[in-house]
Amino acid sequence: MRCRIPFVVLMTSLLAVAACGRETQTGAAPQQPSSVGEGKATGEITVWAMGGEGENLGRLAAGFERENPGATVKVTPVPWDGAHNKLASSIAAGQTPDVSLIGTTWMGEFAKTGALQPTPSSFDRAAFFPGLWATTEVGGTSYGVPWYADTRSLYYRKDLAEKAGVRPPATWDELKSFAQALKDKGGAAQGINLQAGGTGAWQTFMPFGWQAGAELVDGEGKFTLDTPRMRTALEYYTSFHRSGLSSSDRLVPGAQVADFVSGKIGAFVSGAYDRSVILKQGGPEFASKYGVVELPKGERAASFAGGGDLVVFKNARNADGAWKFIRYLSRPDVQAEWFTIQADPPAVQSAWQDPALAKDDFLQVFGRQLKVAKAPPAIPTWEQVAAVIDGGIEQAARGTASVSDVLRTMQASAASIGTGN
Amino acid sequence: MTAKGRWWVYVVLTAGLLAVISPFVWMLLSSVKPAGEILGTPPTWLPGHVTGEHYRSLFERLDLATYLTNSVAVAVAVTVGNMVFCSMLGYVLAKLSFRGRRLLFGLVMGMLMVPGMVTFVPLFILVSNVGLANTYSGLILPYLVQPVGVFLMRQFIGELPDELIDAARVDGAGEARIFARIVLPLCGPALATLGIITFLASWNNFLWPLVVAQTEDMYTMPVALALYSVGQNSIDYGLLLAGAVVVVVPVLLLFTFLQRHFTQGIATTGFR
Repeated sequence: MRCRIPFVVLMTSLLAVAACGRETQTGAAPQQPSSVGEGKATGEITVWAMGGEGENLGRLAAGFERENPGATVKVTPVPWDGAHNKLASSIAAGQTPDVSLIGTTWMGEFAKTGALQPTPSSFDRAAFFPGLWATTEVGGTSYGVPWYADTRSLYYRKDLAEKAGVRPPATWDELKSFAQALKDKGGAAQGINLQAGGTGAWQTFMPFGWQAGAELVDGEGKFTLDTPRMRTALEYYTSFHRSGLSSSDRLVPGAQVADFVSGKIGAFVSGAYDRSVILKQGGPEFASKYGVVELPKGERAASFAGGGDLVVFKNARNADGAWKFIRYLSRPDVQAEWFTIQADPPAVQSAWQDPALAKDDFLQVFGRQLKVAKAPPAIPTWEQVAAVIDGGIEQAARGTASVSDVLRTMQASAASIGTGN
Repeated sequence: MTAKGRWWVYVVLTAGLLAVISPFVWMLLSSVKPAGEILGTPPTWLPGHVTGEHYRSLFERLDLATYLTNSVAVAVAVTVGNMVFCSMLGYVLAKLSFRGRRLLFGLVMGMLMVPGMVTFVPLFILVSNVGLANTYSGLILPYLVQPVGVFLMRQFIGELPDELIDAARVDGAGEARIFARIVLPLCGPALATLGIITFLASWNNFLWPLVVAQTEDMYTMPVALALYSVGQNSIDYGLLLAGAVVVVVPVLLLFTFLQRHFTQGIATTGFR
């Protein structure tokens, strides 16, 4: 009982502090350019970029500074781990930079805080892959520009496939027999590894969902997780786990590649980023032992579209310079240059004709895949719903609940979380 | 205790030791394994092939001197601050009587019960509104006095005999002198415990320095390690393990060295 008074005091002071923060956020007068101004950028532009992107962005910024002698770009690299927390806290405190890189699946959440500027209409949306542009659109308004792309295709062991006498699959049925052959005749313990739950499992599963013709939300923005098409997809996906073609154990992040290189895993679904990891672990001679193909088609071809978007904050001190810097980063030649530095696949379609990319057969697979790649809905609650789907996939893959039960619970949980609109 | 009984004690202790120490041994051994071997299934103890590549990339890519300086500066300041201020407040709450003492202690207990995540964002808003974002003060001040430390010191000081303090008071010593000359020297073991807890918590703190630091030169070791080893879709475990070794080893050495002082502190107090 003695504690009650201090608690009340404490809580009221907390609320008071929280209220302060909100004031500063809406207090800043937002400038919203409808188009990026002409002329050169000037002044300091502060940029947050995560991980390796942050480590290397300075090299691109040098080119921008040469073209705009009056401007300096100050890049702060932020760890991916914790970036979401940092952005959320900084938005609350109004302590944001001019520009930040944002994971595509966070767009809905951060746009909804009102801290992001709408994209000036002078950006040409048709220049980008449609699935990527969709990640910037929240409630019909675009709040950023895609910077680099991520999509998922099928990695497979070429040597094991040759040994087993099979060709890479183009349809769902072929994928099944392909995995079976890699296991039975190729000697892989897992013909294919399909992520059986854990954070981000939905990114491996949803390509199959979209291929089956399922959607995450309908035209009215209501979740459609418990549909016959979604059931077809989840049944197909988990049939690999039930028949022992894929392990139903969760792997440590990164273990997939290690087991792929050692030959325990015959195939897996992943993004272009795994090429450098594979070659680092397998050595240069491993390059001839594996291949990558577009994901097999179900009713239609589809994959996951993600990557990173660039946003400008409402209380940016140098909004004009910020948008000019983003415009520079989305130029096809700069996009191609960025690929040679960081190996991030370009988000701008015409950048793929650049010689550095055009002659890269491996990468072109992902380029074709991107044309059919789809993004999850950009809603504030997406990360929560994604966690529900991840949990459902784990239950279904382990067989602790039937596919129809899993889908029913998934739909109910998603509906109770809501779309946050 | 019979020899046979002691034998069992050693078996249990050895098992306990192995359980505690094996992750560290694995970390050390794996930091010199090639990337593919670290994650191989089944996991291995001994490296099949020894490589220094992770350490090389750690020392080449990271500005370790800056990050370590930041980490040490923040951890030492926070530790010293806690040892001084928590024992002051602990002394006041334990030995002095004044109006509102219970309320004050209740407030401390209340803070102890509020989870850190609840106050995290408001605290950051406060710190950035007073202009302390991206400063050492911003990294240190919010952690300078921790309620758990106040509680620990109050409990410990409460057990010291009143007679000692009264005797000093009769001899004409003021409160500051009593605190500095009588109470503090008797607090050795409690201060050592508090020091270890605070130092480790500050040394390992990730989220607060990440959010407060706005430029790379203000990053502490855990933040820098996360920056360079964790990607959007992949984790560089080799670099992470090598970095973890660099972060942990100085602390282990420090505590092995200081341990003698801690035990001495307990032996020489003579009370309790």
